Amino acid sequence: MNDNLLVAQGRSTLSLHKLGVFCGLAAAVWLGTAEAPTKLVNAGFSPFLISMGMVMGAFVARWTVPTLLKGTGFLFADLRDKPHLIVWALLAGMLWAVANTLTIFAVRNVGLAIAFPLWNINSLVGLFWGWLLFKELRGSGFKGWAKVLGGAFAIVGGAAVLAYATAQQSNAPGKAAVGIIAALGAGVLLGTMYIPYRKAYISGMNPLSFVTIFTFGELGTVLTLSAIYMGGIGNVVSELHRARPMLFWPFLGGFCWVIGDLFQNFAAKYIGIGRGIPLSNTNQLWGLAWGALVFAEFSGLSTSGKVLIVTGSLVMILGALSISMANPGASELVNWKRAMDRECERYGLDTKVVAEVVAGDDPLAQLSAVRHWWEAVIMLAATSVFVWLAIGTRSQHLAISMPWMIVLVAGTILPLGVCGTLLWRRTRFS
Amino acid sequence: MRQSKLVSILTDVHLWVPVGVLILGIVLLMSLR
Repeated sequence: MNDNLLVAQGRSTLSLHKLGVFCGLAAAVWLGTAEAPTKLVNAGFSPFLISMGMVMGAFVARWTVPTLLKGTGFLFADLRDKPHLIVWALLAGMLWAVANTLTIFAVRNVGLAIAFPLWNINSLVGLFWGWLLFKELRGSGFKGWAKVLGGAFAIVGGAAVLAYATAQQSNAPGKAAVGIIAALGAGVLLGTMYIPYRKAYISGMNPLSFVTIFTFGELGTVLTLSAIYMGGIGNVVSELHRARPMLFWPFLGGFCWVIGDLFQNFAAKYIGIGRGIPLSNTNQLWGLAWGALVFAEFSGLSTSGKVLIVTGSLVMILGALSISMANPGASELVNWKRAMDRECERYGLDTKVVAEVVAGDDPLAQLSAVRHWWEAVIMLAATSVFVWLAIGTRSQHLAISMPWMIVLVAGTILPLGVCGTLLWRRTRFS
Repeated sequence: MRQSKLVSILTDVHLWVPVGVLILGIVLLMSLR
């Protein structure tokens, strides 16, 4: 249903599969970088507070760069066209909020380098839901199944090796077990979160619209959870005030997360969740890089522990690559179309228009190109929040390697430019 | 939103799977507190 359609005039002829793969890789970089600020949990702040800071950052960040790409007119027109998807976008945001809080428990108990790959089993969960609910992989030949299943088993194997390494290295087994359970639970929630993602994109929704509603769902959930855990909204406000000097860092994580999630959403749109999510889950490389190179997380581990962690991670990455290289064949694409037809029939959508959007050519984008003055005000206000937080930020006394941080920051910005350009040239961010 | 669309949403398995997992996730989070 994708690459067989004609490319719109004046656009790049890059295949949607390749575009989706690039988006998945860019998502990996940004999602991996987004988790680095959770290291601040070790500085004595509540996991809920860190999670809330990230979510608030993501909420504010959505109104910075993404507003530049598509205006509010387009957003409202897209939502008016498919109002039922608001339910799923909110639901996805709620799933992410709970999962993110679990990941913070995991990072606190077993460290970023260990927890990160463990919750990346979400690709297996997403693969399963993609197959069951959206007919992904249906009609795929033996080779396709072998690549995907082989990759899936490699990911499970890699996760098992990492869990073993954790148990070997931890001085507090009970604490490590809680961290592992939290990380695995987060994996299930994140994997299930891709159900709304895929549903939205086979219904013709734009990723920017989806992410907008998503941020409302996650902010509402995190505020509710925090109020329950901290004994009321008054305590939440007071804790936020206390955390003011470090709040910029989780906000920055939220900003990186929004960029990464947008790329991940484009990957889910153009290559499906069964392939796109494993690819974006190579973010563990960046999680490892930040944990090991910048925060020196491996310093206390034995050589065998390090070898196990690196081996487990490499096995997982190979598995993810194997899955992502399984291009969907014609018979599988027929099943993708059936999944799309189901949505059109059930919710009264125009099949022809949805097919165009799915192919990266959204007719709505042509109609709603008008920009409004208030978009500039919104962007300015959102940017000001980050500037204000940055001005009052204090060092958290964490030992970091500045040269490695510079290298990783540069490696994070590069794919933003490359992949953003590819998306614009091929789809105009449709 | 029309009533028929609301019925379509409420009878959609795509809704209840994530809702179920979300509830389980919240229970897990509460128990890890």
